[in-house]
Amino acid sequence: MVDTSGDDYSAVLRDADADSLVIIPEGFTEKLENGERPEMISVSGMKSAAAMSNITNSNSGAIGLISECISSAFAAKAGLTAEQVELLQMPVTVTEQTVVKDKSAPIGAASIMSSIMMKNMILPIIVFILIMFTSNMLMGAISNEKIDKTLETLLSAPVSRTAILGAKMLAAAIIALLNAVVYMFGFSSFMSGATESVSEEMTGQLVGQYISVDSALERLGLTLGASDYILIGAQLFLTIMICLSVSLMLGALVNDTKQSQTMMMPLMIMAMVPYLISMMADINSLPAVIRVIVYAIPFTHTFSAMNNIMFGNMPIFFGGLAYQFVVFVICMFFALRLFNSDKILTASLNFGQKSKFKKNTSDNE
Amino acid sequence: MEKVLEVRELSKQYTKVLAADKVSFDIEKGEIFALIGPNGAGKTTTIRMISTLLKPTSGDAIVAGHSVIKDAAKVRECITYLPDEAGAYKNMTGKSYLRFMAGLFSTDIDVINRYVERAERICGLGDRLKDKIGTYSRGMIRKLLLARAVMTEPKLAILDEPTSGLDVLNAIEIRKMIKKLAAEEGMSFLLSSHNMLEIEFVSDRVGIIAKGHLLVSGRADELKERYSAQNLEEVFERVVKDNEIL
Repeated sequence: MVDTSGDDYSAVLRDADADSLVIIPEGFTEKLENGERPEMISVSGMKSAAAMSNITNSNSGAIGLISECISSAFAAKAGLTAEQVELLQMPVTVTEQTVVKDKSAPIGAASIMSSIMMKNMILPIIVFILIMFTSNMLMGAISNEKIDKTLETLLSAPVSRTAILGAKMLAAAIIALLNAVVYMFGFSSFMSGATESVSEEMTGQLVGQYISVDSALERLGLTLGASDYILIGAQLFLTIMICLSVSLMLGALVNDTKQSQTMMMPLMIMAMVPYLISMMADINSLPAVIRVIVYAIPFTHTFSAMNNIMFGNMPIFFGGLAYQFVVFVICMFFALRLFNSDKILTASLNFGQKSKFKKNTSDNE
Repeated sequence: MEKVLEVRELSKQYTKVLAADKVSFDIEKGEIFALIGPNGAGKTTTIRMISTLLKPTSGDAIVAGHSVIKDAAKVRECITYLPDEAGAYKNMTGKSYLRFMAGLFSTDIDVINRYVERAERICGLGDRLKDKIGTYSRGMIRKLLLARAVMTEPKLAILDEPTSGLDVLNAIEIRKMIKKLAAEEGMSFLLSSHNMLEIEFVSDRVGIIAKGHLLVSGRADELKERYSAQNLEEVFERVVKDNEIL
């Protein structure tokens, strides 16, 4: 029993020592018996605005149960059988069918969506982390040589500049690969834990009516085979190579630590924009102008790769792959030119400030 | 005498500035040659061109028979370069840095070991070589880098401001070391310095450079006589002033 005099329900929650509660006021049964519609008060305590934090609020469940009990009691009173009550509660049976191109499966589109989303969430997160991590590392490897003044010593040693670049790229690529494997294993075991519990719940409810989500995915051709994973791997590889070549150029233009952080911006935006867009919308259904702009960002093709392969948009996938290859060749060409010229020692971006490097050289000469 | 370096009308044009204009000089085996000049005179540009870091606009430099333009890779095998204000990898220990740099000059383990032992002896850092370079003082880093520059017994060691950041005693030690390596091992040195007294003590010949032009070169005592000066500082002053009048 709680005292609800006044409007302050916080005291009520505190006294009851609960996160949420449903209050059935005095005279509830009497009102029901008189044919009136009595009031119930649902009190929910909010502690945060985070999406998952209020998920345990079970008031609606409790209210539903109470309503169901009252309905059943009324029905029994009126002389209805249990079958008639069930028919009243669910007067029609819905059989859902989902169609992907020329294939269909007896399952709700929502189940397919949630299952694909869970699985597809892993790749973009990994791609995003890899792009950020790899470029940051290689850019640091190049710019630190300039900042710590070790670059000239290294370049005057009997090693070709291309070999130095190759070694630095290889080191960054190996670390990126190791990272990819670690993230892949970590995320997939985390996600499989989440999806297992969801699908168990679903099949428990839907036995007899629907087929399982996994077999539906297979029937709809939405599962990925080994060759599909090779294609995704190829795209991922090209993405990392573009990252590395762009980082080489940006790293070469850096003269101090502050600048090296600023230099991450172009890559960050190039990764962030397609990452967010691919999460929110289907790029192929965007207006033509925006689609061209978004597809001009080479990383877009990586974020949409899995979707394109799954839904058979192969011309877009291979077009993206070819585009990425062209971008990589162009970036690498300029990176090599930069490193094999005097510019590696003299180039700098100074955004209106006097170059620190140029100041130093004029002091030294 | 065998010539280790022949610089032939070496020029470097940046977008707006002519940093070096037809600079020519030679260095013989076992000789110490010093380039002296005011700030912005073109010393570092000239040195960078000889070290194959910058491509000359015109002219050439021949190091031990190899052109810096046509055969830069071979030139880099014969030289070592110690830039002014150079640093070392802070996360490495002194010893692993020496080993890493030696590995760039040879793939033979025995040769690498010999280089590292030689550098350990020359730098005199003892047990501190086991510590990370990040913990070293500026003077210690300079000694480590100097030892690195001479450990591979290069035909020509190019040292930009070799004693910058060192205290008097350490600077004297380095000067003696340079003289000893030139006299006993026949190593040739190309130095640049602002410190005229150091240059007078250590070098066999000097070249005075201003506004990209090599104005005069010769033995320190010859130049002093020619310009009736007491020391190199006075020679330097007169040459630079004469040039301004011209």
